[in-house]
Amino acid sequence: MTRKVVLRSVIPVVLIIAAAVAFAVFEPIQVLPRIRIAPGYLLVNQDAETITSEDVRGDIVLYSFTYSDCGDECAEMNNTVAEVQSRLGEADTGDTDVRFITISFDSERDDPEMLTEYATRLGADTAQWEFATGDPTHLENVVKSGFEVYYQQRSDGTFSFAPVFVLVDGWGVIRGEYRYQTNASDADKIVHHLDILGEEVRNSHGAASLAYEAAHFFLCYP
Amino acid sequence: MTVTRKRILIGLGVALLGVVVAWLLVLPRLRPHVFGGAVIQSNQKAPNTELVSADGPVRISDFAGKVVVVYFGYTFCPDVCPATLDKLAESVALLEGRADEVQVVMVSVDPARDTPEMLEEYVTYFHPDFIGVTGDEATVNRVATLYGVVYRQAEGTEATGYTIDHTSTVILVDREGYLKLVLPFEGSAEQIASDIDYFLG
Repeated sequence: MTRKVVLRSVIPVVLIIAAAVAFAVFEPIQVLPRIRIAPGYLLVNQDAETITSEDVRGDIVLYSFTYSDCGDECAEMNNTVAEVQSRLGEADTGDTDVRFITISFDSERDDPEMLTEYATRLGADTAQWEFATGDPTHLENVVKSGFEVYYQQRSDGTFSFAPVFVLVDGWGVIRGEYRYQTNASDADKIVHHLDILGEEVRNSHGAASLAYEAAHFFLCYP
Repeated sequence: MTVTRKRILIGLGVALLGVVVAWLLVLPRLRPHVFGGAVIQSNQKAPNTELVSADGPVRISDFAGKVVVVYFGYTFCPDVCPATLDKLAESVALLEGRADEVQVVMVSVDPARDTPEMLEEYVTYFHPDFIGVTGDEATVNRVATLYGVVYRQAEGTEATGYTIDHTSTVILVDREGYLKLVLPFEGSAEQIASDIDYFLG
């Protein structure tokens, strides 16, 4: 009789402790969803060098989409990229490099010289933050169909476009899309997501990877 | 031996049998499948652009109900493509009875030189059921871009003419036409076969 009573009181306690341990172990694991395959591309950068989606395989890349003759419309986007770049220390990505690539819709006007001038104007370090554009048809496939970013040239030569950032992992998979629809600043969110992605990359080998795959399975998205 | 003891023994025997059955049947199913590449969880439909094979027009949707393995290559390809197609043929062979539920498609990244007929001759050398498709330059470029593939002409030798550098990933499309898995070139035939098997269900 007493044994039964003891069992009855011990089992719930054990269960609660087990649940707490499980929570402590699994709760910190957050992953970014694997949204789509990022498009393959071949573009030309500010140094007149080709840059392809294969060149950045293995690196985490934050893409933004603007053009050099853009003015105030793009200032906010470029400020966000600059802010993320300056706050990279807050995100632990380990050995994985983080790069920034700004793709210009204006392939006619934005030759390497214009892109270099644009980079200089923004004070961008082109070793980490590159500017690129390419053949107009290829550009449409890459930006509109692949990255799903809308743009359209107006009759006065300027562009109307949707301000979007896209985060791509080293496996060439889109992991984040930022379309100005959150209350948090984009820079805050992107830095936080870089940290989450960095942790997943660091744990992509061995037993830990199973826990991260499970996190994907159970949709542990931030 | 008393009746109670007999009952206990039988009970223990049944319990033991239950554990063994659970061990053999349930546990292997509980172990998560380990994929050889990046799984896309969201519903990304594979691009369904019409391309051309030796037997006429082909779309991904033509293979609804099968797992489609998409690979980009070209017939003049000196090393990577034959190695990959060989590996894919081996994966299909490993699936044994379910091989007819899989369709391997190679999309040409050299539409200027590869004709549908050349592609057919090339891919069927590796496996009689493989299909090779091509299209005009603009169509191929668009399809490749959307599959995350990039290619460019590189200098070759005088004997081979130009070669083409291209992304060498292998992409799995599930039975409903959703793009599900991107596998790196390095994956083994066994890994690819087990991933295909996973999506066959």
